[in-house]
Amino acid sequence: MNALPRLQMSSVAKRFGPVVALTDGNLTLHAGEVHALMGANGAGKSTLMNILGGVISKDTGKVVIDGAPVELNGSAHAAAMGIAFVHQELTTMPTLTVAENMFLEDYPKRGPFIARRRMIAEAAALLARVGCQIDPLALVETLSTGDRQLVEIARAIRKAPKIIIFDEPTSSLSGPEREKLFGVIETLRANGAAIVFISHFLDEVFRISDRITVMRNGCTVGMWAKTETSTAEVVENMLGSVAATDRVREPFVSGSAPFLVAREVTSGPLIDGVNLTMRPGEIVGLWGLLGSGRTELVRALMGLDPLSAGRIEVAGDDGVLRETAPAALRQRTGLVTEDRRKEGVILPFSIAQNIGLPNLAQLSNAFGIIDARKERALATRLASELGVKAVSVDQTAGTLSGGNQQKVVFSKWLPMKPRLFILDEPTRGLDTGAKGEILKLTVRLAEEGASVLFISSELEELMRVADRYMVINRGRITHELPGSASHDALMASVSDERSMQGAA
Amino acid sequence: MTAELTPLTKQPETGGATDRIGRPGFRIDVNTLVLAALCAVVLGLLFTMYVEAPTFFRVNNLINILVQASIVGILAIGLSFVLIGGGIDLSMPATLALSGVIGAICMRDMQSAWIGPVVMLTAGTAIGAFNGYAVAYLRMAPFVVTLATMTVAGGAAVWITGSQSISDYPLEFEDFFLFRFLRLPLSVWLFAACALIAAFLLNRTMFGRYIRAVGFNPAAASISRVPVSRVLCLTYVIAGFLASLTAILLIARLGSASASLASDSLLLDIISACVIGRVSIYGGVGNPLQAALGAVAVTLISNSLNQLGVSYFASLVIKGGIIVLFVYLDRFVRRSA
Amino acid sequence: MRTSRILATLGDAHRNLGLVLALLAVMAGFSIAAPSFATTDNLFAILHAMGPSTLAATGMALVILTGKIDISIGSIAFLSASTGALLMEAGHSPLAGFAAILGLGAVLGAINGFLVAYLRINALIATLGTMMAYRGIGLIFTDARVIPLPETMRSVANATIGPVFIDTVAVVAIVAAIQVLHRSTSFGRSLSAVGNGEDIAARIGLNTRRTVFLTFTLAGLLAALAACSSFIQVGSVSGFLGKGLEFNAIAIAVVGGISLAGGRGTIVPGVLIGAAAFQMISNGLNQVNADPYIYQLVTGAVIFVAMYMDAFKRAPVR
Repeated sequence: MNALPRLQMSSVAKRFGPVVALTDGNLTLHAGEVHALMGANGAGKSTLMNILGGVISKDTGKVVIDGAPVELNGSAHAAAMGIAFVHQELTTMPTLTVAENMFLEDYPKRGPFIARRRMIAEAAALLARVGCQIDPLALVETLSTGDRQLVEIARAIRKAPKIIIFDEPTSSLSGPEREKLFGVIETLRANGAAIVFISHFLDEVFRISDRITVMRNGCTVGMWAKTETSTAEVVENMLGSVAATDRVREPFVSGSAPFLVAREVTSGPLIDGVNLTMRPGEIVGLWGLLGSGRTELVRALMGLDPLSAGRIEVAGDDGVLRETAPAALRQRTGLVTEDRRKEGVILPFSIAQNIGLPNLAQLSNAFGIIDARKERALATRLASELGVKAVSVDQTAGTLSGGNQQKVVFSKWLPMKPRLFILDEPTRGLDTGAKGEILKLTVRLAEEGASVLFISSELEELMRVADRYMVINRGRITHELPGSASHDALMASVSDERSMQGAA
Repeated sequence: MTAELTPLTKQPETGGATDRIGRPGFRIDVNTLVLAALCAVVLGLLFTMYVEAPTFFRVNNLINILVQASIVGILAIGLSFVLIGGGIDLSMPATLALSGVIGAICMRDMQSAWIGPVVMLTAGTAIGAFNGYAVAYLRMAPFVVTLATMTVAGGAAVWITGSQSISDYPLEFEDFFLFRFLRLPLSVWLFAACALIAAFLLNRTMFGRYIRAVGFNPAAASISRVPVSRVLCLTYVIAGFLASLTAILLIARLGSASASLASDSLLLDIISACVIGRVSIYGGVGNPLQAALGAVAVTLISNSLNQLGVSYFASLVIKGGIIVLFVYLDRFVRRSA
Repeated sequence: MRTSRILATLGDAHRNLGLVLALLAVMAGFSIAAPSFATTDNLFAILHAMGPSTLAATGMALVILTGKIDISIGSIAFLSASTGALLMEAGHSPLAGFAAILGLGAVLGAINGFLVAYLRINALIATLGTMMAYRGIGLIFTDARVIPLPETMRSVANATIGPVFIDTVAVVAIVAAIQVLHRSTSFGRSLSAVGNGEDIAARIGLNTRRTVFLTFTLAGLLAALAACSSFIQVGSVSGFLGKGLEFNAIAIAVVGGISLAGGRGTIVPGVLIGAAAFQMISNGLNQVNADPYIYQLVTGAVIFVAMYMDAFKRAPVR
């Protein structure tokens, strides 16, 4: 490592309107190192990397490359400065060939035509550099996700970048594909590139990175050489510490017969043999890092993705467990998804119409005519009960703030009193006050007798409500902890040996 | 990770309070504005007619316009169900022709006036159900499905009739449907009834709310337990049913059934009526009453331009321009809302 | 490596395998039923007759590849052809007439492109509007008359090179050029890229608006060429020229494996297979003296079959 760093970002800040995305972002990269960038959801990693990639501009702060300060104007400029960005979501075009994808915005030309032979040769050479043998003439749609990722990387290194950003490159890769990718990263490092590696998987980070920078709440909280830190320390810094007194209610141990039992639920490439029992009145916290399969598990339980194995049993009115199809279970579940704007509320509908939508059968007469007064009365009651701040229940949901939208989503389930609630990141993107209200609401649901599966990537939040923890890693439940589990125990559960081998 | 990026793609959620209160009102304002513009055009047209061609205002001509509008209007009401549900149905005129031809043949062969309407309605509904099944359950693109149905149904109508018109069915059929009440023929009353019932269905009932929810956002609707596929399918069934209802009225008025009932210009008029009636082609938004008014406007424009001596050809240009203008305005309104 | 390369070269041909087999079966059926079907003369007649629809469908296919649609091409064909015919009738040279037709076709297409790409109006409705307007203007110009073409033009139609009509040669050359444009230029590739996803294409740095605009312009030009090819064969321009051409072209594109979702499909062999299928069916039905009215029915049925196969290939149906 030479003395002059390849990249130095210092005190970088960025606001989006009133929302502060980044307060104090710092990152120092050296040539020939793999530098892991870690942080929970909303910590500011993506903002920092988007600034580096020229996707967005910074408000304040300095970016210095090889000792010279730079202003990055747009992604094309960043690319010209030798910065390559491998995005998390695939940006390959399925119906074009591998070679075409790699040169999409800048083909090698012979006269007005694409110099096909040269393009193929160059593509093959680049693919060889990332160590794969994909046919440059194969259509991208015939490739696996891992191979597509490699194509993206090959495209990114086309202009011999000095800095390469990998934004969660492994989140959708299988084991062998991941190995292949790590090999590629090793090669790039050996060739002298500085590599930023964003991942939520501690085992990966500790395996391939040289140094680790951790961010939290828009600030860089520290940087360590891998050899000088531990997984526990990194997780601790990522998530911060929590005071246990903050609990909304003391852990509640339900003695009732189970309401739902999932046996060996397997779905998609990730969810593998999950067993889950939920009892009335308890809040089960599903704890795991991003990409551990939390959302995928919910999708499987709700029939949004098909089960490849396993069964789900649900108690009937008589308390007897019977096998139930996931789609049928969804008809009886209060489901709050993380993407409330796309799946939670219908934005052009009013508050009353949104709340009314799943309850129309109760709000209509025998001819299916909606009793608008009844609908508004119900909405008004629920909105004031949950403290939805709006001019009236006729206000369009799209004009509400995030917290109020989420309260509307909760409200629409309350009238039918579902016995099961699944809350997938219900507080995502909300401010502290709104978060607290949503958590109180969650406890109220449980106190009224519902079983609640609560998912959050913020441990502070989970620890305020969960009566019991199921720890998920790589699509498997690796630990079960009681509600009294300490912060350290929970941290350890996602960073210890057992959880890292979750998929093994 | 995407959460950190969301402010890039959407408005910050903590907008000023005045802004929030202001927006719904603004939207209504623009809507009113567009409607006012349409009214101004129509009134201007009527005034010109008053000066240039006073015969236009003879009661018979006005009734004639309403009768013409009722055909386009009932079809437009059917189409507005499909559009509000987020789809499109190009096959309505062809459905009209095929169900009409089949019904007329049944009437002729069985020499029974009553069998005609029954067969027509059944056939139209069945064609609609076929479209609905393909779109909602087989998840095929509405545009292609209904395009193919248009070709098949239109082709079948031509084939069955051998391009001949059918008129030797019992006359009671026409007698009944040409019945007038308060000087207005049955078709006008049915048109009004359809518009009112459709508006009621869409604005006041569970089913209507479901259609709008599906048209706006099928994913969110599905999570809110809306039976998305069934609702989607039913919108096409309604369109098919109303197409065959139109067939009855049109055949009774023309006095014969033929494959040429499905003219290209009819399809254009229906879509124009919906677009002018501000039924959004992006789903969710629209009122069949306005679509019905749109149909009246389209007919009025054709008819009065015709009487003013403007050629049919020029009226095509004008109608085409109006469609593009209205969709542009629609986009504009949606973006600012 | 080798087999996948061959598959890639064949492009979507293997996707259309079922259709090709069905087509062969139909051909075999016609050949048995009508001895006159499988003759070289008839084959060239089919090639000749499919010229206009092939050109129109090629333009339509390009637009569909970007994920849009253009239903005004029939009207573009009519308006540009009638303008050209009127110029020739007024004594201008056939060359000037041709230039006017092609130029006008491109301009009308460019108007569509402007509405869709820059004003962001939904393609279906925008071109529905221009479809009406263009035809209306054309009818005003011609007053719905049938305009005969000068004798020199008509003689072009009967000129042959060996057994092949000269306009067939032109069609082959044009389609070949479009194929090269689509496969081997960056414009052609970005056209498919836009169809894969406009947002992603824009993020990669492609100028998606310009691509869409140019594609509509090209489709207008091809519609004008289709009009030329059509009226040379007929010898005159009537008010019916191009009527239903857009739906024909969509049907050919769909049957030829061009996905309406955009990005997927080929001009050669895709569009050619589609165009040949429809022309062969029409010709064959004619040869076996079938009820002439059955043609449209069969056409619709063919679209359905192609569509169902596409739907089942695309996604598992639940």
